[in-house]
Amino acid sequence: MSLKGKWYALYLRREPASLALLFGLLIVFFTFVTGLSRIYSAQQQSLAVRWSERGTANLQAHNYQPAVDELRAALRYSRDNQAYQLSLAEALIGLDRTSEAEAYLVNLWEEQPENGRVNLDLARVAVQEGQTTRALRYYHNAIYANWPEDDQAAQIRDARIELIEYLLRIKATAQAQSELVSLQVYLGDDTTYQKLLGDLFTRTGDYEHALSAYRLSLSAKPHDAVVLAGAGNAAFQLGRYEQAAHYLRENLALDSSNTNSQNQLHLSELVLRMDPFRPQIPAAERDKAVVNAFQIAGNRLTACPVAASYSSSKDPKKDLAHEWADLKREVTATGLRRNPDLATTTMDLVFSIERQANIWCGSPSDTDRALLLIAKLHEGS
Amino acid sequence: MGTSSSSHARTMVEEGQHASSTEEFAFTPRAMLRSVFREDRLFIVLAVFIGIFSGLAVVCFRFIIEWVRIYALGSGVVLSPLRMLLAPSLAGLLIAVLAIHVFPQSRGSGVNQTKAALYIFNGYISFRTVIGKFIMSSLAIGAGHSLGPEDPSLQIGAGLASAIGRRMHLSRDRMRLIAPIGAAAGLAAAFNAPISAVLFVIEEVIGRWTAGILGSVVLSAVSSVVVMRWFLGPESLFRIPPVENLRPSELVAYCVLGIIGGFASVAFATGIGALRPRFRDLPRWTQYLQPAVAGLLIGGIAWLGAPQVMGAGYEYMDEAMHGRFTWQFLAILAGLKIVATLLSFVSGTPGGMFAPTLFIGAMLGAAVGGAEHTLLPHMHFSPGTYALVGMGVLFAGFLRAPMTSVFMVLEVSGNYSIIVPVLVANTFAYLIARTLQPTSVFDELTRQDGLELPSMEEQREENILRVEDAMQSPKGWWLEGDKLVEDAAKIVASGEKSEVLVHLRDHGWCALTKAEIDELMATGDGLDTLAEVAHDKHIPYLHPDHSLDMALRYVDRWPLVPVVNRANMRKLEGVISERDVLNRYRDFEGV
Repeated sequence: MSLKGKWYALYLRREPASLALLFGLLIVFFTFVTGLSRIYSAQQQSLAVRWSERGTANLQAHNYQPAVDELRAALRYSRDNQAYQLSLAEALIGLDRTSEAEAYLVNLWEEQPENGRVNLDLARVAVQEGQTTRALRYYHNAIYANWPEDDQAAQIRDARIELIEYLLRIKATAQAQSELVSLQVYLGDDTTYQKLLGDLFTRTGDYEHALSAYRLSLSAKPHDAVVLAGAGNAAFQLGRYEQAAHYLRENLALDSSNTNSQNQLHLSELVLRMDPFRPQIPAAERDKAVVNAFQIAGNRLTACPVAASYSSSKDPKKDLAHEWADLKREVTATGLRRNPDLATTTMDLVFSIERQANIWCGSPSDTDRALLLIAKLHEGS
Repeated sequence: MGTSSSSHARTMVEEGQHASSTEEFAFTPRAMLRSVFREDRLFIVLAVFIGIFSGLAVVCFRFIIEWVRIYALGSGVVLSPLRMLLAPSLAGLLIAVLAIHVFPQSRGSGVNQTKAALYIFNGYISFRTVIGKFIMSSLAIGAGHSLGPEDPSLQIGAGLASAIGRRMHLSRDRMRLIAPIGAAAGLAAAFNAPISAVLFVIEEVIGRWTAGILGSVVLSAVSSVVVMRWFLGPESLFRIPPVENLRPSELVAYCVLGIIGGFASVAFATGIGALRPRFRDLPRWTQYLQPAVAGLLIGGIAWLGAPQVMGAGYEYMDEAMHGRFTWQFLAILAGLKIVATLLSFVSGTPGGMFAPTLFIGAMLGAAVGGAEHTLLPHMHFSPGTYALVGMGVLFAGFLRAPMTSVFMVLEVSGNYSIIVPVLVANTFAYLIARTLQPTSVFDELTRQDGLELPSMEEQREENILRVEDAMQSPKGWWLEGDKLVEDAAKIVASGEKSEVLVHLRDHGWCALTKAEIDELMATGDGLDTLAEVAHDKHIPYLHPDHSLDMALRYVDRWPLVPVVNRANMRKLEGVISERDVLNRYRDFEGV
């Protein structure tokens, strides 16, 4: 064999052998790195779990700064763990570091736009940043998003309540009211949350729904002082003074220190006593109530001379003082008995005086306030 | 190059050789094996092997760095002061002993060593250097020295490739090219960005695009990234926030970032260039202490409130991108990182410059963006976008790899809408750095090491002489083929011209020398057409944009070479002779 031929023979033996050796080395190295990788992964996983447990515990205890550090450490070892990211975002929200929290949440949202907790946290971030439109969008996303099945109803309920609270804070009462109606439908006859529902309806000024919620709550727990006060207040605001007095008395029996209930009960009792138009009232008692109201209005006019110069809607040419003086001689028990229409005329004047005095002089006495409430009850203003 | 009879003939010869080879070896098992294991094919296979080996080595490197960090600095993000001060100092002491006594070749970042292997040592990088780089860099980075793992990974890849090449007894030419293939693989795995790695190696190590090596470089880079992702997952080094669409008016803000980044790059590079030789000139015994003192000072910076400067710092780049820090603190971090990296690098601690460069860029970018937003609150501000552009800015200004800097940001962000601010800012940074500091940091380090490696930056910007710079006007040098020999005789009779070019309608160009014309006249062929007498004297032709180097290959064989228009081969743009080429080279002053 020539020299060239020997070289080829050597080459042909050497190259495949070298490649085979290289391949063998590769397998050994790959196996080694695989083993190393398992050890590494196990250690990283264990560190991630250890730090996340500490972080979660601190988050639940509202120790936000250590929670942030620990959850950051956990994420260092398990960077894509979404539960850790979410917890870290919540800890950051707790520290008012909303932009950082948002960065984590936006990443999470991009991967799980249907995740209720992420949407709720994003809504909280938007609330802190004063971005109303975004906040409302994320709250609604949270309400209609996916939650863990074992806790879904409670989470949706809480998200809706949080949304309503937010709407009330930004004074979007109409939106809050419609959300409350939806919440009421969602809760059905569940009495647990009727008290809260009643409070929220009260804050929107929807006393009718508030009263029904309180009543539902009382059907399950009749001696809840707070609910009784709420129901009393709702009934009072609706002008249902008898019902109000009933709830308020029961409330005061349980909690006599509630000054609001005391005032409302006092006013309710005054209204019930002073109202000449209440049904099934004896004529003598009605006349006496009219005379009494007329006297109170006279006193109010004396105390508030500014109001005296205004005219009532009935007779624009005369001012209230003159009208009152003209009627003074007629408004007696005898006069009222003789002229049954006089009671209405007198009470119209009384209501006009009380309203004008309230506008110009404010600070009415309890009896004046009672007359105003009676005016509102019968004249709808 | 145009067709010519000689090149055609050469091709025929080669084909003939190939035909005879095929005849000799066809159908025999030996011939088939030889065909399979031809060196160029083997080289492609080896590129894949190198990629896998490099990927595995880089995965191990990452594991070791992480373990060193956990055991030296602790597993939490809040570090204890004692560890902050002791870990980098003790690691520095150990590294100094290893670097002086066991692995003296493993100092530095690794990029220049790989270039030296390519241009000086025929692709040789000792396996000991690889081991040394692996151990010392992982110790340094893990213990908190302000260095990164990318450049060492590049050298580890190159070293593995060199070892494999030696084992496979590759030819010298192949051995020279194998180190960059490994370098691309190592860098791609470390950075999880194969395109940027390939571009960097071509832009900064090889310096030229050649089809022969490009395929191998890409194959090795892709193989290593696949391996790396197999073990460590596909995630990039930091989470990229959504990149906001840019308004044209905001480009001004990015220009400002480019300008500031350019100055920061110059400060960083000047610091390294000035301090490194001073540290090296200190007495030998101080070499044992320099990395430890650097580590102690870095620990001090961390203890004083900036632990972010320790290590590669990718997690803090991530946080900067997500608006974790105020712009004032980001600016401080950028400054402190420059100081910390200077300390680590000039003390001779082995480790890379990529990660610190990206860190400084990210912090500076987010700081500039934040400051601009504070001054102009109506301007939209996304810290992530500014940080990403800042990374590109430092990459272009400090590492002087402008093309890689653009593609790196695109590859890392995965968003092409960022390209305009990146291009604008990088251009400013690169131009400022290039103007204020003509020598790039890699070239400066090479010269400090006493080596003279080709500067890729200078090569890129070198003025290339072209044929059009040397050619003469064609007037009077040529005749159409239908003219008579006596017409040509009149031209050469004046004595000014010794050759005449003849344009043959269908056969290109040929040339007749004065001697040939005189001979034809003497034999009574003066009334023959030039086409008849010169049809077998074909000569090659050039185009005006060909390099003068290419012209040089022809002018020594053909005294006069026609320079023709590319769009119209019949149009003679000029003629060029050996004297023209040499005169032009003599007059060339490099401008």
